[in-house]
Amino acid sequence: MIHQYKDSVKKVDNEEKMSGMAIFTGDIKMDDAYFAIPVRSSISYGKLLKINVPNLPKDYSFISAKDIPGENVCNIIASDWPVFADKEVHYKGETIGIIVGPNKEKCLELAALVECEHKEFEPVFEMVNSYVHKEFKKGNPDKVFANAKKTFSESFSTGYQEQIYLEPQAMLMYLDGEKITIKASMQCPFYIKKAVVRVLNCSEDKVRVIQPAVGGAFGGKEHYPSLMAAQLAIAIVKIKKPLKMIFDRKEDITFTTKRHPSKTEITAYLDEKDNILGVKIHVGIDGGAYVGCSMVVLSRALIACNNTYTFENVHVIGDAYCTNKVPSAAFRGFGSPQSIFAMELFINHLADFLHVKPLDLRNKYLVKTGDITPTNGIYRDPIILKELMDKAMEMSDYKRKLAEYSKPGSNRGIGMSTFLHGCGFTGSGESTIINAQLKIKKDKNDIVTFYTSQVDFGQGNRTTLKRIVVDTLGIPEDHVIYDAPDTDITLSTGPTAASRTIIIVGGLAAKAARHLKEIWKDGEEQEIVEPYVGPDFIKWDEDTMQGDAYPGYAWGVNVVEVSFDPLTYEVNIEGCWSTYDVGHAIDERILMGQADGGLAQALGWAYLEKEEAENGMFKQKTLSDYVIPTMVDLPKMETALIDNPFPYGAFGAKGAGELTFAGGAPAFAIALEQAIKHKVHKIPATPEYIMEILENED
Amino acid sequence: MINHFVPKNLKEALTILNKHDCYIMNGGTDLMVQKHVSTGLLPKFDKDVLYINNLKELDYIKKDEEGIHIGASTRYVEIENSPLIPNIYKRVIKEIASPNIRNMATISGNIANASPAGDTLVPLVLNDAEVVLTSANGERKMKVDEFVYGVRKIHREKNELISEIVLKPQELSYFYRKVGSRKAESITKVSFLGGVKIENKVIKDFRVSFGSVAIKTVRNREIENKYIGRNINELDINEVINDYAPLVTPITDQRSNKEYRHKVAMNLLKKFVMDIKEGGINE
Repeated sequence: MIHQYKDSVKKVDNEEKMSGMAIFTGDIKMDDAYFAIPVRSSISYGKLLKINVPNLPKDYSFISAKDIPGENVCNIIASDWPVFADKEVHYKGETIGIIVGPNKEKCLELAALVECEHKEFEPVFEMVNSYVHKEFKKGNPDKVFANAKKTFSESFSTGYQEQIYLEPQAMLMYLDGEKITIKASMQCPFYIKKAVVRVLNCSEDKVRVIQPAVGGAFGGKEHYPSLMAAQLAIAIVKIKKPLKMIFDRKEDITFTTKRHPSKTEITAYLDEKDNILGVKIHVGIDGGAYVGCSMVVLSRALIACNNTYTFENVHVIGDAYCTNKVPSAAFRGFGSPQSIFAMELFINHLADFLHVKPLDLRNKYLVKTGDITPTNGIYRDPIILKELMDKAMEMSDYKRKLAEYSKPGSNRGIGMSTFLHGCGFTGSGESTIINAQLKIKKDKNDIVTFYTSQVDFGQGNRTTLKRIVVDTLGIPEDHVIYDAPDTDITLSTGPTAASRTIIIVGGLAAKAARHLKEIWKDGEEQEIVEPYVGPDFIKWDEDTMQGDAYPGYAWGVNVVEVSFDPLTYEVNIEGCWSTYDVGHAIDERILMGQADGGLAQALGWAYLEKEEAENGMFKQKTLSDYVIPTMVDLPKMETALIDNPFPYGAFGAKGAGELTFAGGAPAFAIALEQAIKHKVHKIPATPEYIMEILENED
Repeated sequence: MINHFVPKNLKEALTILNKHDCYIMNGGTDLMVQKHVSTGLLPKFDKDVLYINNLKELDYIKKDEEGIHIGASTRYVEIENSPLIPNIYKRVIKEIASPNIRNMATISGNIANASPAGDTLVPLVLNDAEVVLTSANGERKMKVDEFVYGVRKIHREKNELISEIVLKPQELSYFYRKVGSRKAESITKVSFLGGVKIENKVIKDFRVSFGSVAIKTVRNREIENKYIGRNINELDINEVINDYAPLVTPITDQRSNKEYRHKVAMNLLKKFVMDIKEGGINE
């Protein structure tokens, strides 16, 4: 059967997940498995002088940096995060070692008895020490800014966000003969493999990573599982027992990576007729104790910082700051939601400053096809942002409500955001760093099997990637086999990240299937290894941040309506309307899942999800204190897609997973500003913060 | 050695309590969370546990001239659905946690847990509800307001259990607001309940209680008595605010801050008084 793309199919994992049959890492039974319990630093910053380990009973061990055969480095993008803290500790909760043994309760007891002697240093919690600095320009900002007649400056900040995947971090490791075999809750099987190979200094064929069912990730399982795997690998070569490390929710919230908090300063330079000559933007992100992937998060934040507007002269500066806190890392959007939030609010506030309508000011600078990007690349795809805006305004009755809610005492507000998301790895990363290769083969019975390293953690790529191959080949669905990744079988098609799965790997799968179809011979075994070849126009210089940053951009518009209770400062979300250009949606229902989920998560970040660090330790550690929106907190969301097929993706598809997160916070904040008749510069906009705004400005 | 007792009837439960110092496990929605250790491990209790949640003898709602009697193991969901229960209690219970928690949790557990954020304490205290404490030696009654005397502090003797709650229906119009961090599954940051009875513009009864703003539910009869008998036109909003402001002494914690809690408590009190002056409480 060949599907009509608009028609949605049943997700292949629906039944196993809804019935509870799916086997997650924690469900895998292995009777002789030992438990691994981290011993964590009690101080934020200091020299580690001595580790005092209690007398350990038989079968219990303490594993630390001294047991590492290879490099004491967790292989993330930067190589600065040690697997176990050795000479120094850099954040409260950093792992110093692990207690390994057969009884979990005993392990917990022993871990609590390990004591460290320190020489403490003064920790830094504020964004003052930059460890990554980036800067680039477009046009001639220095000269133009000096001649400006007026300037307008503002500063915006965003908070931490915890992923709250349904399944906390979990890892099982065992020896299959000599081979270290890993089953874990993860996004990137080959990242885990590399991390283990590096810390053990072993050959690649000694490590195998197999993906069981994974319950959500949102970026939180992009890098952290590499750290857990490296820690367990050191233990397993020593004690040769299967090992389990499964985090409780509290441990997961307290010690795993989160979204980078940010502070963005924007100045607009204006001429005598109030035309925007250009903008200067500084984006600061809190990277925590180790760089990890913060330089790439910073890149994305900077590249996106003009959002959907074209300014002729641009000066962009960015810093990732080292603080003595849990390292920040990947989370849906990867830095860009932070800078998009700032630009959306800024353009609205600038309109007020200039006494013009925000919509008029936005339209004047809205990105058009052929415009130059902030990094001097070109927006090549047909841009249909105006259509997206018109549709969203029509769906939400935006203009009428905007006028009505501006009346005094209305306590209601409506806000619109426009936004973009660059799909795939930044710059030429797809062809220079990842080099995806996809293997597809056919057996004598004409059954086709293909392999990727993409993890389906709920977002639906097991369904969609399979469909791309089925529909390209034009053969029945049950003639195509597509299983979860196993690094011993599949070649690397790269990490499940950066909204690259459908646009890049989907495109690659379609290409491989097309090539197989071209050489198809009934009844013969055939195999193709299809390498990724990027579009020729992608030229990128990472050092100067110049060129085309992404193969394609997805676009969107969110409209959010809120009501405000002046007695309690609580805000209620009354309505959400969205329009997206994701190229061509292969499966609309899966896309609607991303649309609702992404916006819900963005709204949570905007008004509910408060994660405060106090003396280097998070204050909200449980699901009753770190609150995410429940079903009753959100209204029914209406979403429309406008078809705009992308020539380089499978069946015209672009990325969608992160796009749906990008605009929720600014649309909410703009709506809130109308409801409370005051400006907002910070999220989460909790009732406590709203009270502060109203009290201070009244 | 920790014992877990599952008695067959109330008498057996009381006999056990006479000999053992026990945690009393009812719906378990607080206790199981408090005693959680780690995924895959049993909860850790430091003394014996007595399970009363399956005692049929304690699962009832009945009404007589004294009031409405709710057995200790009666679940929130049964209370929500009972025609005997005054609406104000239903209103409060509907906003507690989620339907699945309300299928397990009990009012007696909420009282015994004695959290400053315990939601049912606010209407129980305001409406003079009582707890019945039963032991092998007999039973005694106490106002909920006196029974709970601090954070996790209650006047229960080791051999007693809360066997019943007695609601005292009042002829009051109420104004209630629970302010949590979201609409469901939310621990209260501040809550307010005002009750009033007005006849010919004269205040016949006036009661106010606040939750989550002090070590226990705030209610002050001295202040209330001051306003009983007053004409609503002579009710001075600032006077009422000034009376209650010093009693509202919230803290800053991971859920909110003291400034917000105090301000919102006063805003809600102000709204209650304004509504009285304007002739009606609608909720």
